[in-house]
Amino acid sequence: MIRVFTLALVLLAAVTAALPYVPSAAAAAKGKIVLAWHAGFASRWLDPQEHDGTATPDNFFWALHDGLVKNQGTKLFDHPALAEKFSIAADAKSATFTLRKGVKFHNGDPITAQDVKFSYESYRGAKADVFKNRTERVEIVDAGTIRFVFKEPFLDFGILFGTSNVAAPGWIVPEKYYKQVGPDAFKQKPIGAGPYKLVRQEPGVKVEMEAFDGYYRPVHTKELVMVAVPEAATRVAMLERGEADIIYNVPGELINKVKSMKGVTLAPVLSGSFFLEFVNFQDPKNPFRDTRVREAVSLAIDRRGMNQVESGGLGKVSGNWINDDVLYALDWPEFPRNVEKAKQLLREAGYPNGFDVDWVTPLPAFYSRGERVIAQLREVGIRGRLQTMERGIFFQKLRGGLKEFPGVQLILHGVRIAGSWSFWYEAYMKCGGSNSRDRICVKELDDKFDRYEKSVNPAERKKLAEEIQRAILENHYLVPVYRHAFVNAIGPKVAAQKWQDVFPTITTGYAYPWEDLKVRD
Amino acid sequence: MAAFIARRILYSVVTLVILSGTIFLIVRLTGDPVLLMAEAGASTEDLARIRQQWGLDRSWAVQYVTFMQNALTGELGKSFNYRLPVSELYFQRLPNSLQLGLFATLISLLIGVPAGIVSAVKVNTWWDSIAKGVALLGLSIPGFWLGLVLILVFSVSLRWLPTSGAGDWRHVLMPAVALGWYFAASMLRLTRSSMLEVLGSEYIKLARLKGLPDVVVIAMHAFKNALIPVFTLAGVNLVVMVNAAVIIEVIFAWPGIGRLLYEGIFQRDFPLVQGVVILAGFMIVGINLVVDIAYAVIDPRIRLTR
Repeated sequence: MIRVFTLALVLLAAVTAALPYVPSAAAAAKGKIVLAWHAGFASRWLDPQEHDGTATPDNFFWALHDGLVKNQGTKLFDHPALAEKFSIAADAKSATFTLRKGVKFHNGDPITAQDVKFSYESYRGAKADVFKNRTERVEIVDAGTIRFVFKEPFLDFGILFGTSNVAAPGWIVPEKYYKQVGPDAFKQKPIGAGPYKLVRQEPGVKVEMEAFDGYYRPVHTKELVMVAVPEAATRVAMLERGEADIIYNVPGELINKVKSMKGVTLAPVLSGSFFLEFVNFQDPKNPFRDTRVREAVSLAIDRRGMNQVESGGLGKVSGNWINDDVLYALDWPEFPRNVEKAKQLLREAGYPNGFDVDWVTPLPAFYSRGERVIAQLREVGIRGRLQTMERGIFFQKLRGGLKEFPGVQLILHGVRIAGSWSFWYEAYMKCGGSNSRDRICVKELDDKFDRYEKSVNPAERKKLAEEIQRAILENHYLVPVYRHAFVNAIGPKVAAQKWQDVFPTITTGYAYPWEDLKVRD
Repeated sequence: MAAFIARRILYSVVTLVILSGTIFLIVRLTGDPVLLMAEAGASTEDLARIRQQWGLDRSWAVQYVTFMQNALTGELGKSFNYRLPVSELYFQRLPNSLQLGLFATLISLLIGVPAGIVSAVKVNTWWDSIAKGVALLGLSIPGFWLGLVLILVFSVSLRWLPTSGAGDWRHVLMPAVALGWYFAASMLRLTRSSMLEVLGSEYIKLARLKGLPDVVVIAMHAFKNALIPVFTLAGVNLVVMVNAAVIIEVIFAWPGIGRLLYEGIFQRDFPLVQGVVILAGFMIVGINLVVDIAYAVIDPRIRLTR
C-alpha cells in the first residue's frame, strides 16, 4: 500500500511538474496595484524563517519569497515552485527535491541546495519542532538536488512542508545574506526569490515592491504596494476613490455599499468555519452530556439566517465543522433547523423548561454571532449569557483548559486551518490538544486518531479520518454553525472576469499568487 | 533660583520613575504576549523558547531593572512586532505626528481663540451662545465620526482630498481638522474664561476710564495677558496630539505615534508600549519643567513658594 501511495505521489509530482522557465518576466510587467489591508504589518511577516503559522504572513512570503512546493490554485500543497519536481520514497522515510534550473534570489545569487538545507535546518517558526524531531538529516545530492531523510515514515511531510499558511521550512532564504545581516536586519531588508523584490517598507504601515525580472514565471504588474488601513470605512473610501485596487475584509454593514459601487467586484472568499464546543460535556452533571441535548442545540441553530445577517449571505452553510479544502475532509449535508424537534428532545432528556448556560463565549471579536446563538438557543429554552474577552485573553484561556471554563459553557469557535483534517482534530477535538486541552476527551476517538497518526497506509488513514469525523458529527460533539466569508473587494483597475481570478488559491482568503495579478489595459 | 530648578528637576525625575513603573506593570497585566507571537497550536516548548528569547522568562523585578538600566542609556528595548529598536520606530513616526499635531494645534487655535475672545467680549449675547454651542459640539462630536464624515464629503463626494495616509499638505488637512476640532473647544472655553477674568480686572477698567477704544483695550491690554494660560494649554495639547492621536491616526491610516501605540497595545508589544509612553511622558514632563522655570524667572513669587 505504501508503494501505491508513493507511486501516486510521484505521479502527482510528475503530472504537476514544473512549468518551463520563463526568463525576464518582468520586462512585460506594467502598472501598479495598491492593496489596502485590514491590519498593521509585523516585520516578522517578511521572514519565512519565523513563520507564525497563521494565515497572514503568507501574503508577504508569496510576494517576496518562494518555496520549493506550495499550495497554489486548487493544489493543496504540491504545486512545484522553486523545485521543478519532487518525490517521496516508497517507505515515506525520505523526500527528494530537484531545483528548477536558473532560479535566482533578488540579489542575483543562484539558489542552491545549500540554501535549501540552511533554510530547513535553521527554520524556527510554526511546526519547527515537528520537522526537527522527525528529520534524521538533510543530504545535498548535487548542486540542484536535495534529500530530506526522516527517522521514521513521515506521511504528513508533504502537506506540512508545502502548505504556506501552516509552516514554511521549505521557503528558501539566501544563506549567505541571512547570516551576514542577521534575522532582525533581514526582516527590514529581506532578499528572497519571489516574484517581487522589496523597494521600501515603513514598518507596520506600507510595503512597496516591484516586479523581479529574474522570476521564473511571468509577473504582470510592475508595482505592488501593500498599505495597512485599519478602519474598514476608510478602505472602502479608498476603493471608491481609486486609491486602492484591492481591499481586504469588508464588514457586513459595508457590503451593500461596496456592491453598489460601479466597476467594483466583491470577493467573498470562503474562510473560517464557526462551530460550537460543549465544554466538558463528559461530566455527568453537565446537561450537554446527553446526545439529545447536543442535538437540540444543533436543531436550534439558524445557520442560513446567521450566514445572511453576518456575512450578507456570502458564506456557506455546510455540514462539517472542518473546511472542505483540507486533506480527508468529510463531505456532510447541511444540518436542519427544527425548533419543535429541539424542544421535544429537551423534554425527552429531562429538560422540559430548558436550562441555564453560564456563559457563551464567541471568538473575539465576533460577538454579534455569539448573541445570535444565544437568541436562537433561547427559543428552545436554553438560556445563556454572552461572555466577551480580548482576543489574546481568549486564546490564553483556551490553553488554560477546563479550569478557565467552569460550569456549563459553550464556546463559539471560528477557525481556519489549512493542510489536513488532522490539524483540526489535534487543535480542537483531541484530549490534550493545543486548544482543546482537557475540555473535550473522547477516548475512543483519540485512540483512533493515534492509529491514524501511526499508520503509513493512506487508505487506512483516509478510512480512520472519515470514521472519526462521522462520529463527531453524528454524536454532535461539535456543532457546525457555518463557514463565513472573508469578504474582499476588487476595483476596476484590476483585470478580472470574476473574483476567483484574483483569489484563485482555495486554501487561503488572500489574493496570491501575486505574479498573476494584472492591471486592466 | 538654582534650588528651585533642582527641586523641579527632582520632581520630574520622580514622576518619570513612577510613570515607568506604572506602565511596566500595566502592560504586563494585559496578558502573555508570547501567545500572540506564536501560532495557535504552538507547543509549550516553542512558547518557552520565545519567552526566553525575549527575556520574558525572568522575574518582573529583573525585567524592570534591566529596562530601567537600558532606558538610562537611551535604549528602550526592541519591539516584539517590528524587531526594531523602539526609539528608532518612535523617531521614524515622530515627523508625521509632529506635522499632524502642529496643524491640529494651529486649527484649534484659529478656531478656539477668536471664538473665545468674541464670546467673552460679547458675553451673554447670541454671539456667546453660538460660541458655547460650538464648544459643546467640539467636545461632544466623536473624532472617529467626524473623521469618517470628512472622508465621505471631501474625499468620496467632492474628491478634493485623499482619503488617508501621509504625503503632502492635502493629506494632513482632514486629520488635522478632525483632531483639532476637539481641542478647539477646550481652547475656546479657556480663552473665554481667561478673557472674562482679565476684562474684569482693575487695570482694564482703568484703561477704559482713560477713554481707550474697546479694540485697543482688548487687543493691547486684555488679549496678551489672557493668552498666557491658553498657550500653556496649547503646548500640553500639542504633546498629547503628537503622542496619543490614536483614533484619528487609525481612521486616516496616518503613520504616526498614536497608531504605533495602538498597534503595540493590540499586539501586547511591551517594549513598544512602554517606550512610547515613557517618551510621551518625558515630553510632557519636560514641557512642564520648562514652563515652570519660565514662570519662576518671570514671577519671583513662584520660586519662593514651596
